[in-house]
This record gives sequence, C-alpha cells and structure tokens, in this order.
Amino acid sequence: MLSSTGSRRTPEVERVLTARIGRKDSRSIDTYLADGGYAAWKKVLTGGGWTPQQLTEEVKKSGLRGRGGAGFPTGMKWGFIPKDTKGKPIYLLCNADESEPGTFKDRLLMEEDPHQVIEGILLSSYAIACRDAYLYIRGEFYEGARILNRAVEEAYAKGFLGEKILGSSYALDLTIHRGAGAYICGEETGLIESLEGKRGQPRIKPPFPAVSGVFNCPTIVNNVETLACVVHIVNRGADWFAKIGRNEKNTGPKLYCLSGHVNRPGVYEAAMGLPLKELIFGQEYGRGMKDGRGIKAVIPGGASANMLTAAEIEDCPLDFDGVAAKGSMLGSAAIIVINEDTCIVDAARNLSKFFSHESCGQCTPCREGTPWLYKVLDRIESGEGRAEDLDLLERICNQMANGMTICVFADAAIAPPLSSVRKFREEYRHHVEQKRCLVGAKTEMATA
Amino acid sequence: MPRRREDGDGDRLSSNPEAPKGAAPPPPAAPAPPPAKDTFTVVFDGRPVEVPKNVNLIEAANLAGIEIPHFCFHPRLSVVGQCRMCLVEIEGMPKIQAACTTPLKDGLSVKTTTERVRQSRAATMEFLLINHPLDCPICDQAGECTLQDNSFGYGNQLSEYDEQKRQYPSFDRTPIGPHVIADMTRCIQCTRCIRFCQEIAGTSELTFLDRGGRTLVWTHAGKPLANEWSACAADVCPVGALTAREFRFRKRVWYLEKTPSVCPGCNIGCNISIESKDDTVYRFLPRLNPKVNDYWLCDYGRFLSESLNLRDVEKVSLREGSKVSTPTVPVAIDRIAREIRAALDSKGPASVLFLGSAHLSNEENFLLRKLADHLQCPNRDVVVDAGGPRRIKSQTEWLKGEEAAANFRGARDMGMTPGPGGFGLEAVLGGKGSPDVLFVADAAFGAAANDGEKVPALRRARFLAVAARTENALTRAADVVLPAASLAEKEGTFTNLQGRVQKFERAFLAPPPVRAHWELILLLANALGYGDRSWTPSDLRAQIAAEVKGYARAAEPGIEGGLLLKKGDFPWKGAP
Repeated sequence: MLSSTGSRRTPEVERVLTARIGRKDSRSIDTYLADGGYAAWKKVLTGGGWTPQQLTEEVKKSGLRGRGGAGFPTGMKWGFIPKDTKGKPIYLLCNADESEPGTFKDRLLMEEDPHQVIEGILLSSYAIACRDAYLYIRGEFYEGARILNRAVEEAYAKGFLGEKILGSSYALDLTIHRGAGAYICGEETGLIESLEGKRGQPRIKPPFPAVSGVFNCPTIVNNVETLACVVHIVNRGADWFAKIGRNEKNTGPKLYCLSGHVNRPGVYEAAMGLPLKELIFGQEYGRGMKDGRGIKAVIPGGASANMLTAAEIEDCPLDFDGVAAKGSMLGSAAIIVINEDTCIVDAARNLSKFFSHESCGQCTPCREGTPWLYKVLDRIESGEGRAEDLDLLERICNQMANGMTICVFADAAIAPPLSSVRKFREEYRHHVEQKRCLVGAKTEMATA
Repeated sequence: MPRRREDGDGDRLSSNPEAPKGAAPPPPAAPAPPPAKDTFTVVFDGRPVEVPKNVNLIEAANLAGIEIPHFCFHPRLSVVGQCRMCLVEIEGMPKIQAACTTPLKDGLSVKTTTERVRQSRAATMEFLLINHPLDCPICDQAGECTLQDNSFGYGNQLSEYDEQKRQYPSFDRTPIGPHVIADMTRCIQCTRCIRFCQEIAGTSELTFLDRGGRTLVWTHAGKPLANEWSACAADVCPVGALTAREFRFRKRVWYLEKTPSVCPGCNIGCNISIESKDDTVYRFLPRLNPKVNDYWLCDYGRFLSESLNLRDVEKVSLREGSKVSTPTVPVAIDRIAREIRAALDSKGPASVLFLGSAHLSNEENFLLRKLADHLQCPNRDVVVDAGGPRRIKSQTEWLKGEEAAANFRGARDMGMTPGPGGFGLEAVLGGKGSPDVLFVADAAFGAAANDGEKVPALRRARFLAVAARTENALTRAADVVLPAASLAEKEGTFTNLQGRVQKFERAFLAPPPVRAHWELILLLANALGYGDRSWTPSDLRAQIAAEVKGYARAAEPGIEGGLLLKKGDFPWKGAP
C-alpha cells in the first residue's frame, strides 16, 4: 500500500529526510548530486575538513536519538567505542532489517533515496573511524537491496567510497548484506550473529556491540533513518536540528508510519512530537478515520508497543518521552490505528501469532511462552475461553518479561496481549462469557 | 533427589599424586610472596564467601554450599544463558539476572532465596514443562533427569497449560548416530549437546533447526552423530532427549550401583564409574577427573562395559592327554606349583617363564614378579598391543592413548621385564627361548594369545598354565585354565600414560570358583612357599610403596578410597 506519494509535506517542518522523494530519478547519483547531495561528505572530508571527534560532538549536540526503536542518543553510543581497540577494526552496521509490524519508513528511504542513506553511512563511519561498513537489509526487501547495490556502485565510481576518498587518506568499503527474513535479526546482536553467518540469535549483553560486536570487534549499530539524519546535521548544523521538535530531548524531523483504519495511511514526515491525533486526523496526514468510525485503540510504536485507548491518545505527542509518559513507546514510530469495529482479542491474537512465529527459541520463557499466549488468545477468540483465562494471560505475560530472557523480544511479545487484556478487559470477558465477539463481526486487523 | 551425573555427584575422585620424577631435591623455600588476593568476596544471601576468581557464579555458589539450579550451564562448555533457570537477584540490578552470565566480581551481592527468585524459577520450570511429555515412567532418563530434579526442587507442581503438547512426529526415538538415540519431544533446547560437539569434540554434527517453539536439535543433513565421544552428548543431555542406544531400557538407573573404576580400553586410564546390578555390568559412565578425562569418555572405552559380562571360563579345566577334568582351584594350583617346582629342580631357574599382563593391576604384576624373584627365575615379561589411538580431552590438554591395554607402564614399573640372563615372550615366539613351564597370568594378554601361528610357539612349553575369563586359542591349548575375574570383580591400581596411579574398586564378587588374578597368583605363590595367605591388594600396595621406585605414595589414603565428591562439587575442590 505504500508508495512514494504516501509521504506528505508537513506544515511545521519542511520535508528533510523525504525532500527528494517523489522527484524524478530520485535514486540516481546524478540527481542526488544535483540536489546538493554528498555536500556533507565533502564538507567533512575536504578543505580542512572535520575531525571524527568534531563530527561526533556535532551529532551529540544535535540531540539525535536512535530511530530504530530504543531512542538511544546516537552520539553517546558512538562514544562507547573503546579508546584503545587493541588493534581491532571498528565496524559500522546499518540496521536495515526493518521488520517491526507496521513499520515501513526505512524501506522508503532506501528505495527512493538510497544515496542519502549511503551518505549517512559514510559520515557515521568516518566519525567512529570505521574502515568497513555493512548494511544488513531484510531478505524480503529485494528491490531495496538491488537499488542500494546500484547506488553503492555509483558511489564507488564517483570516488565517495573506496581508497583515498576525495583525495583524503580515509578509506571505506560498504557491503550490502541481505538477511533471510527473520524478525529477531532486527535485534542488534541477532543482526550481528546473522551477519556473521550464524543463526540469528541475540547475544548475552554485556558485552555490548560497541565493545564487542561484528566478529567480536567494536561495532556501532544504527538504524537507516538515524544515519540519514546525520547527513542533515552536518549540512545544516546541530543547532538547526536541535530546534526541531517538542523539547531538547526529542529533536529533529521524524518519519511516522501510519497504518490501520485511517483514510490515508502512509509515511509522513513531521517534527518530533507531532500530536498523535494530528497524525490521525490532520489534513496533511491521515485525514481521519475510515468511514468515520471511532477509535478503539492505537498502537503507537509497532507491534511491540503497548496499545493506547482512545482516551489516552487525546494529548499524546509522538516523541520518545511523550509516548513513554503514556505507558507505551514510540518504538519505530509505526502508528497502527484500530477502529471500534475491530475485535481486540483478534487483534492481540494476530500479533501474538506473529511473535510466536518469530521467537528465536533460545530462551525458555519466550520459546514456550509466545506459543502459549497465542493458543490462549486463539481459544478465547474462537469462543472456547474460560473465565480464568484473563488472569492466565496476565500471569504468562508477567512470567516472560523483565530479565527472564536474554533480549527484549519477550518484553515486546507480551505488549499486545498484556496491554489489551488490561485495557479492554470487558471485551475479553464478553468474549469468554458470550462465546462471541462484542463487536459482532470478526474483522481482520490491518497491519501495514 | 536423584543425583546428576554430569556434576560428578556421588562419584569418587581419586586424588592421584603425580609419581615423583627422579630424585630431584625439593625446591628451596621461596620467600613468602606479598599477600595478593587471588579470590573475590561474594556475598550470598548476606553471607560473605571467598571464591576463586576464575569460576562461574553458579560454581561459586556451589562452593558456598548454595545450589543454583540450571540446565544449559556446564562447567566445560561456553555459557549461553538461555535456559533461564539459574535466575538470581543481584544487588544494584533492577531486573532478575541469570547467574551463569553474571560476571564474578569483588563485592557482588547475590540473593538466591527471595520470593522473586523462587517465582522466577518456578516460571521457567512451568514453561519447560508445558510442552514436555512428562512421560517419565517410560523415559529412560528418569532417575537421573535434571528436569525431574529441578521440577521437584523448584517447580510449582501444578500447571494451567491445557493445550495440545508439541510433537515432533519425525524426530522422536530416532538413532542419529551409532550410539545415540534422539527424542525431540523431550528436548528442552539447552544446546549442551550442540556445544559439546562444537567445543569439545570439534566435529559440530548437531545444530538447531527451525526456531521459536518449533526449535529442535538435529544433525546437519545427512551427517550422523558419529564422533569418537558421541555418547557424551547423551551424558550432557539433562533430559531424556538424547540417550545411549546400548544402555537404553536395560535398567532403571536407581537400581544401579556405582563403583569407581578405571577404563580398561587404553593407557589414558579414563576414570569411570562402573554401574552394575546383580553382578551384571550395565554401563560405564565417565567419572570426573580434570587431569585425565575430565567429564568425558570415548565411545570405544564406554562400550567395553558389556565385555565385562562375558565369561567362557567358569571353572578350572585340567587337561591330561585327551582327558579334561575340573578340579578345584587349590588342586589345580597345587598341580601348577608341582610342575614349576619340578622344572626348577631339574632344569634350573631359567626353565620357567612368568608372563604378566598389561591388563592386570600393579598389585598383580608386582606379586607375580615377587614370586619370580622368590624362585630366582629371571624369565618374566609383559607385552602390549598397539591400539587406538584413543583421544580424550582433559581440562587442559588432549591425551592420546596408543596402547590397547590400561597398565603396560605399571606392569613394567612392577618389574615384569626379563631379569639378567632371562628371556621374555619375544624370545619364545622367535624360538630363541623355550621354557619348560609357562605361566600366563592373563590369557587375554594380547593378540598373540589368539594367533594360530604364535600360540604353537607358546605351546612348546612342556606345561602351560593360564588364568582366563574368555576362551581363545591359548586357553584351548593350555594344560590348566584357571577361571579369573573381570575388572569389575576385583580391586587394584593402574598406572596411566601420565604416570598417574589410579585405583579401581570392586563392584561385585566373582561367582565361585572364579577368583581375582591376584588371588590366583597369591595361591600359587603360597604353594611355592612365598607370601602370606592373608595378603590383600592393599597389603600389596603397601609393599609396592615400600619397594618400587616412584611409587612411594601409591598406598596413600587418597588412592585408597578416593575422595567422595558432594553433590554438585566442581573440580577445583578436592581434585588433585
């Protein structure tokens, strides 16, 4: 359903990350250069240039927080690379394994403006003194991988990649690596394992990737959108970037993936902190609910985020701290809108099926708990639920999270069932007692 | 609670003193080093305990007498932290932590008894059991199953799981190699077997297939689990997912008696536990000794266990011309003694050859050599066949055994080599020496004893007496065959390739009239005027300690009884 035209100019902020999307031949290096592309790269590398430390400081000053889901300050992450790597190389790994249900922003960036992503990788690699960078793209993004590979070739041909880049002593190689289609490989250590050719299973932390990542060498893992932001921080300055957004802790332009029962789903760029209701109802954005139906719930940050009720979204700014204050998370900024005609049990069941399918299987609580959650939800949905199932759901969820597993997959997997059973308990109870859905019709939840 | 075998529970561990090398003077007393602290202070439930720096938190807790339940952790395998059973609270950490992945540091404060810890462990147990078939009554692991133990110890006895349990229709009760049968419905996905094959065997036959709740362990396509130590994968399996084909369904493990012993397969001398019931050996299991076989045992040695039950020679046979009679052992011994005495009297001390064996203990070879000394007979010998090579990984290095018997070194140390002017087996086989009487203490001493071309050379002796358990060409040719015991039916010591003197205990008594080799040799010695009827292997060890160079410590209590490891003890405690 996504097309490049799904992105719209926002009134508060000019389109930055998506400025070139919709332009003819936006993928080619010629139009990218014509639009001022690789200016940041030239600025950093030539004519006096910037030191890596300067670049890192600039990113720190911008307040850029990771766009992949956790919202960790990017500059600070770069600073975790040990001063003395004991001769080990440093790697940059661009996480393009965009697989959170409801998320489709990185795909847009990679497919429509690949050189912006590559320039972001170049700049970030330089900042952390990386010689070899990788971009791990999810296996299903065949088109994206093809486009990126061609763009990388173009960048080599123009001398932006390779040895002695732009006459400097800096050298960088970039490899596009396709995954095989596993959600868990989006978790940064699972991503690293997979990149190394192993089974995609998250690693025990610590050590964190900045100390021991790809091939046990210091590694920075950044999201596609995060890296794209770096281009504009260099071009227009940290101060410009920091001024965008609701406050100094939530800065910059942001891509929001809007899906579900809205009139106009798509990727929208806006300043960090766009009110959630504005995204759903604004003329520039979602243009309201389909068929004028009411809102039952909104998942604000991809399938891993707790559902919010219609009441909770009233004054919810879409930034990291704003959504966190509502007891959910911005995550990958995938806003899934669920209308009042949707069966919430079915919605939770649908998401639980996903998580049950995608658990890597190494930790007991997640391996065994995710299918159990699905089975209980499926039972309730098909009219065979029991009164005690609601408490059982909560108990299973509580037994899976908060340190019970190596990675936070289990914490994500419990979000849909736990938040829905707590917030829509009456609907669940109705399901159990009446053996059928409160909303009358069983509807499939539209996710992305 | 049943014991866990991989932790060395209930096993005995010999404290094996290194045989002193030469007569090097003790090193001069070094000045006292500055008191550098080589331990961490870890606080367990409020109680500070000093623990070594290089251990895992689970092991450290064990030293403090605290059991942290676990499945995937194994002291010799990499830490993966995925079973989530060893959960504890660490002061300063908001979330519950896996003990196995928590780095040890000074001042670490660990809580293992809080309600949150109890609940978390019970949660993991519940998750592990929801898809487990709970078919313990028909599972061969029952009784030595960590899942059973931890369920009793840390689980809630009830579960609300009411769904269809997971099945692996084409992955149950299937041989995945010559010795291991896999049943994935019982697997708890701890990956110990995978890691054993990767990290110890180095062969990587096993892997995870699929993911999530459908994850299973299997071999890489088309490749069987057929490394030299494949049954160790069944040893490290905490549940009944991998079991050893040879032992499966032969005996409920709680009936088995464990006897510390030493593998007879080669000169590495892996420490084993003979598991027997009603005078039958059911299996060998590796017995923890970090300096020798650590937690491991090769398949070749392990499956020699069944050979201990073989017995062709159940009573004496005395052949006179074409007449075969079955006198009692003392009568047969007297007859041998008479023949020896006659040979010595008529043809001198070099007319008798005493052949020891690399399969016999130090005590037995020692006694035989002492008898030869007593008779002033210079002809004594011991031989060994080349075997293997067998390999086993100790905690620190690979050991390689290239002899087909366990005690060639010890037998030689005991003096079973031709004395001045004497000859040995090679001379007999080469026609250069021809004893009037040949006494073979172990008819299975080597391949020559069943070699149709070599046995006639031995038969050239006027009188041939052998002790034997199984029939071969030599026993068929002998004048007297004495019924002798198996390894399980006697005690003694072997000296391995490292010079480590290791004791094996008696698991059960041989059925009369079968006697241990040392009893037969002692009876013969008595009949020839040497030794005391009351001598036991322990008396002989005392004599060895007094007389044999390098064996001064062979009679020490550590050798004598072995050290009993408490449940879950790990090697640095009480180990040599």
